[in-house]
Amino acid sequence: MRLITMLLCFVWCLQLWATEEILPFSDPTQQALFRELTHELRCPKCQNQNIADSHAVVAVDMRRKTYELVQQGQNKDQVIDYMKTRYGDFVHYKPPVQWSTIWLWLLPALLLFGMLIFVLQKNRQQQTSVIETEPSSLDAELQAMIDEVATKPDTVAGDKKP
Amino acid sequence: MRKLLFFIPFIMFVALSVFLFSGLFSDPRQLDSALMERQVPKFQLPDLMQPSKIWTAAELKGQPYFLNVWGTWCPTCNAELGFLTELRQQGVRIVGLYYVQPLDAAFGETFDINALQQEVQKKLAEQGDPYQFNLVDEHRTLIFDLGVSGAPETFLVDADGVIRAHHVGDINPQNWPELAQAYQQLVRK
Repeated sequence: MRLITMLLCFVWCLQLWATEEILPFSDPTQQALFRELTHELRCPKCQNQNIADSHAVVAVDMRRKTYELVQQGQNKDQVIDYMKTRYGDFVHYKPPVQWSTIWLWLLPALLLFGMLIFVLQKNRQQQTSVIETEPSSLDAELQAMIDEVATKPDTVAGDKKP
Repeated sequence: MRKLLFFIPFIMFVALSVFLFSGLFSDPRQLDSALMERQVPKFQLPDLMQPSKIWTAAELKGQPYFLNVWGTWCPTCNAELGFLTELRQQGVRIVGLYYVQPLDAAFGETFDINALQQEVQKKLAEQGDPYQFNLVDEHRTLIFDLGVSGAPETFLVDADGVIRAHHVGDINPQNWPELAQAYQQLVRK
C-alpha cells in the first residue's frame, strides 16, 4: 500500500514537466538551437531573466520570434543579430567587445598582472634582504669562532675528553 | 613613493564606493534604444477608430511627432493621458500606438476591434485625448521592431522619420523639459 502511494506521488510530480510550452520541431538540432537561444537571450522587461524563464509579454513575443526564425533555418548569430537590432546589446547575455566594455576583459587581466608584479617584486626584495643580512656583525663573530676552532682542533677535541 | 602605495587601497575603496553609490540612483529600465538615429521601421497598421484606413511609415513623415505606445490595460499610460492632452493643446503632435496584449484562445479570447474602440473611447473621454490618431498593433509587429519592452514608451520622430529620442515610462511635468527641448529643436528646423 505504501509503495503504491509513493509511486502515485512520483507520477503526480511528472505532470510538472509538462507545463513547459510544447513547440513542434522536425529537426532536433533546431530544437537544441532554440533551447540555447532562449536561455542566452535576456528579457528586456524582467531584467535578469532569460526569455525562456520569463512570462512578460515581450519575452513571449521574443520566444515566438526566435521559434519562427529558427524554423526558417537561421543560425545562432543571425537570430541574435535580429534581436540586437531591435532590443540592443542588452538583450544578449554575452556583451560585445567594444571600447566601453573592454574593461570587462582588461580589468581582470590587469589585476592579475599587477598582482604578479607585486608578488615578484616582494620575492626579490626578500631575497636581496637575506643576502644583505648575511655579512652582519653576528655572522662575523660566528665566523671568527669557527675559524678559532678550526685552527686549534686538538684543544677542542681534548676538552671533550674526560 | 611608499606613502603613495599606502593610499592606493583607500583610493580604490573610494572609487568603488562612488561607482556603487551612483548605481543606487540609476534606472535600469532606461536603456538606450537600438533604433536611435535610425528610421522608424516599415509598417502597415490600421487606424484604431477607422480600421479600413491603413497607415504606413511614409505617411507619418512631414513634421516631427511623438509616437506613444500605450494601452487602456496599463495604469501608467492612463496616468499620463492628462498631461499628454495638455501638451496636445500646446500644439505638440502625438500619435498613439495601441499595444494589444496577447489573447489566449484557450480562454475564448478573441480580438474584437469594436469592443476595443468603445473601451478606448471611454478611457479617452474620461482622461483626455492627446492623440492625433491611434495605430492598432494587434500582433505587436511594429512594437517588436521598435524594441518596445512595455508600455508606456515614447519615441520622438523627426520630420524625416528618424527616431531622435526614446523615453521609457510616463511623461510628466518633471521629465518633460528635456523632451520638450528636443522636440522644439526639431520643430524649428
